[in-house]
Amino acid sequence: MIFLVLAAGAYFVAVLERWATKGRFSLKGPVVSGLALLGRESLVPRKLDRIFFEAAPPLVLVSAVLAAAVLPLAPGLVVADLATGALFVNAALAYVMVALLMAGWGPDGAYAMVAGFRFLGQLVAYSMLIVMPITAVAMRAESLVTTVVVTSQATLWNAAYQPLGFVLYFLAAMAVAFLPPFDLPVAPGELAGGVEAEYTGWRLAAMRLGRATLVFTLALSVTVFYLGGWLGPVLPPWAWTVLKTLVVTAVMLWLGRYVPRLREADVLAWGWKYGIPLALLNIFYVGVVLLGAA
Amino acid sequence: MKGSLSGAREGRPSALRRLVAKASADDLCAFVVPGPDVARARGIDLGAAGLGVAATPRHAGVILLLGELPAGLKKAAAVAYAQMPRPRAVLAVGAGDISPLPGPDVSVAATQADLAAGVDELRRLFAAGAFVEETTAFYADEIETETTYACPMHPGVTSGGPGSCPRCGMDLVPRESTGGSGHEGHHGAHDSHAGMGHGSVDEDAGGHGDHGDMGFMSMVEMTQGTPRSSDGLQMEWADAPFGPLFPGLPGGLAMSFTLDGDTVAVVKAMRGIDGWGPESLDDVTAREFPERLAFLSPLSPIAYRVLALRALGVAAGAETDEETLLGQVGALERERAASHLGWLSGFGRLLGYSWLGENAGRLQVALLRAADAGEVGRLEPEVGKFVRRVIRTPLLARRLEGIGTLPGDAEISGPVARASGLARDARAQGTGYRHLGFEPVVRDGGDAFARLRVRLAEIEQSLGLVRRAGVVSFTEVKPAANAGDVGVATVETPRGAATLRVTLREDAVEVLELRTPSSVHQGFVGAVAEQREVADALVGVASLDISPWEVTG
Amino acid sequence: MAQAVFTGSFGVAAIWFGVVVFRTSSMVRSALALLFSQAAIGGMFLAMETEFLGVLQIMMMATEMAIMAIFMVMYMMDPGGLSEMDMTHQKRASLAAGVLGAFGALAVALLAGWGPVEVQVPAATAQVHDLGIEIMERSMLIFETTGVTILTAMIAATAIAIQRRH
Repeated sequence: MIFLVLAAGAYFVAVLERWATKGRFSLKGPVVSGLALLGRESLVPRKLDRIFFEAAPPLVLVSAVLAAAVLPLAPGLVVADLATGALFVNAALAYVMVALLMAGWGPDGAYAMVAGFRFLGQLVAYSMLIVMPITAVAMRAESLVTTVVVTSQATLWNAAYQPLGFVLYFLAAMAVAFLPPFDLPVAPGELAGGVEAEYTGWRLAAMRLGRATLVFTLALSVTVFYLGGWLGPVLPPWAWTVLKTLVVTAVMLWLGRYVPRLREADVLAWGWKYGIPLALLNIFYVGVVLLGAA
Repeated sequence: MKGSLSGAREGRPSALRRLVAKASADDLCAFVVPGPDVARARGIDLGAAGLGVAATPRHAGVILLLGELPAGLKKAAAVAYAQMPRPRAVLAVGAGDISPLPGPDVSVAATQADLAAGVDELRRLFAAGAFVEETTAFYADEIETETTYACPMHPGVTSGGPGSCPRCGMDLVPRESTGGSGHEGHHGAHDSHAGMGHGSVDEDAGGHGDHGDMGFMSMVEMTQGTPRSSDGLQMEWADAPFGPLFPGLPGGLAMSFTLDGDTVAVVKAMRGIDGWGPESLDDVTAREFPERLAFLSPLSPIAYRVLALRALGVAAGAETDEETLLGQVGALERERAASHLGWLSGFGRLLGYSWLGENAGRLQVALLRAADAGEVGRLEPEVGKFVRRVIRTPLLARRLEGIGTLPGDAEISGPVARASGLARDARAQGTGYRHLGFEPVVRDGGDAFARLRVRLAEIEQSLGLVRRAGVVSFTEVKPAANAGDVGVATVETPRGAATLRVTLREDAVEVLELRTPSSVHQGFVGAVAEQREVADALVGVASLDISPWEVTG
Repeated sequence: MAQAVFTGSFGVAAIWFGVVVFRTSSMVRSALALLFSQAAIGGMFLAMETEFLGVLQIMMMATEMAIMAIFMVMYMMDPGGLSEMDMTHQKRASLAAGVLGAFGALAVALLAGWGPVEVQVPAATAQVHDLGIEIMERSMLIFETTGVTILTAMIAATAIAIQRRH
């Protein structure tokens, strides 16, 4: 059941992305282009590292699915309610980096390799900014279990309780999914597609599917950690989750259109010079509020 | 009317395959040769015709050849075509002979309506014939690869077959390169990792230590003496071609970057476009000369036509009358605004700033399609709002500042010069302009951001001039000149001042000198790009607004 | 029983990947094989029902090994491993160190006083809670000094690596 929602979610991400880039809202768009992609030949570069080239797209998909597996859609509607759920999300997302590194190295092409390097730089910038806001969220919930994180927001959503953490996590989530303006690894203008450049046919479809699932998973994590998950008045819980996730996805996709791509040096500098102190401040702030309320 | 595609995929058409074929007909993505910038400059809106634009041939299903292409670009297109996954098609739009590519599946003239019809035809072909029972492979000289064997430590040591390196005793490693006439394709960078040494462009760099017995070498020893790049990181050097069909650069611009990790270590800019240039201006009659010169520069044809006309006019000793002068000013300024908008669109795509890329392109096409000064005037407020919004973009200054600075007082012209505080503008001396009250737009900074601001301001200024001139076209009066007359003229093209000196022999025109701004600016590509991160290097090169069609070598 | 099987297979996988690290000539394959070896160890932790440690191990190793892969590509001469160079150095010394290390590890494993085997493993949430309390109470000094030491090392390394600007 969850996987159905995940698949549907990924599909809607594709629809939204198409709307953001092409300006046309077409529900059957992804089906058409998916079919077209599957119908294309899948060429492989002549001198590739086969293991990495083939493994990268499935690994993106697997990481996204694993991360989504611990996120609840409704009370009781979660694949694996791990005791370390919040941490597990981060663990799964770390393998996105590994996957893109493989995709960068595998095809033996200069564009892909440079793209892989750049994503590493981006990772160094964002990885702290994913974990530290989660820490603050876990502090409020007094647990790493994702269901408890959601219920702890019954009085006030974390987005209002810890706005700083919310903003940081939102931006870091966009960076994990390498959405514009953080799309250093797949820059179409600068690197002719970057890590996606050498994939064609069904492999490209797998890569795109993985990426869409990743975006959906990250939006779901933002919803669960900061927007109160399934909490909400009239509609059934899972509907709230899905609705909030789609709104988050739309904002993520829309935001990148109006800003130029960030330079790698800037991403690193801002992540470390401003992001980490702010994340620490956020933890401190949450700690003070929690102790004060206790 | 053909029943199937020349680049169809092998397979028996079954129900599922027919469904897939129909899907691929609906989702057409084109790789444009020479580039979407040329398409826009001709007033063609690809999106409106139903084609998506692909950044790389591997993600495209259609290769679109626009206009008559020079030989060098045709070869590059052949390599790109070979990289496209099947089913693939060739769409020729106003192109002549397109060998070595296979014959076009659909061939139309270069207008929007014809293109739309051609795309519909292409859809029909895809739906019907994406899968055929038997296919033929595509072969061209250009996609041949030759394998040489080189030593990983000393890339200069090569041999035709396997063996061991005489200097260090290591086994030679196979390395491939694309054959043909040494031309580099769009994605020819497949030899980047196989045995490229680290920083060994100059293999005699000292301090490599003794490799005879391959004893333990520390990293410090190994990387000693090799040139360091600006960010201090010593990484593997790889050659990567950027162009001539690279999505972020003007179509036709070919460079080769030697990348040190993601920093550009060395830049080699290729000379212009193979098979294009002033040599094709020999033996042209005076009547056809302006047309021919305009044809050679698809990104700013009007400027070059006016240049030719004025040069011939000076040769004939004729004075241009007020009305023609005003018309020329109007046409030139409209083209300038359109050219800058086109540059903005490409720049936006390079920067990953999709809103800019799309809207600048839309405005450019709308401007080029405007029938008279009145319609241009109606576009003016929208363009003004657009310009103001671009300047207010968050993070844009951050992205562009400090990139693309040029050394000292070079022989630059056009917006590049005016962005460095130099008030060089050939229009300041132009008679037509003085009547309309013209002041060159000058900014300080000399970097990519200053150039952006200059071009944005010039767009508004040009539209204002068009409004005051009141016309956007002029009638060509071909002056009659005698053999032996010499004429010289300078026109401020959208990229800088171009000078032409001609003399007449019998009825043919002989070009004594043609100085174009892009030829000068191309020389600065190295200064702008070297020792910079790849993205910054590309932004710097793009900010120079080089038109590879104008480069005269 | 099932637990022993899982732990055993993860252990074998870890060793196998560890061997692959040295058998392959490609730098990136080597680094990523090390990653999967460590991830297998993380899997062992999970099989032994120490959830937090397992997840932590898997998470940390992904990032660390990816960065190591990049450094190997940067500094090693033939990252593609195509010339099939012999990557081993100082063979005698490393053999001796390996054997000594193996004996040392076995000695620790067999001779140390591990205490009685816990038949009732606390629930995962209780484990997380207990770990937190442990860090904050008994082991606080250890973790704080370690943390500060690592931070100092990072800053010092960065400071040394920056070239003097004139």
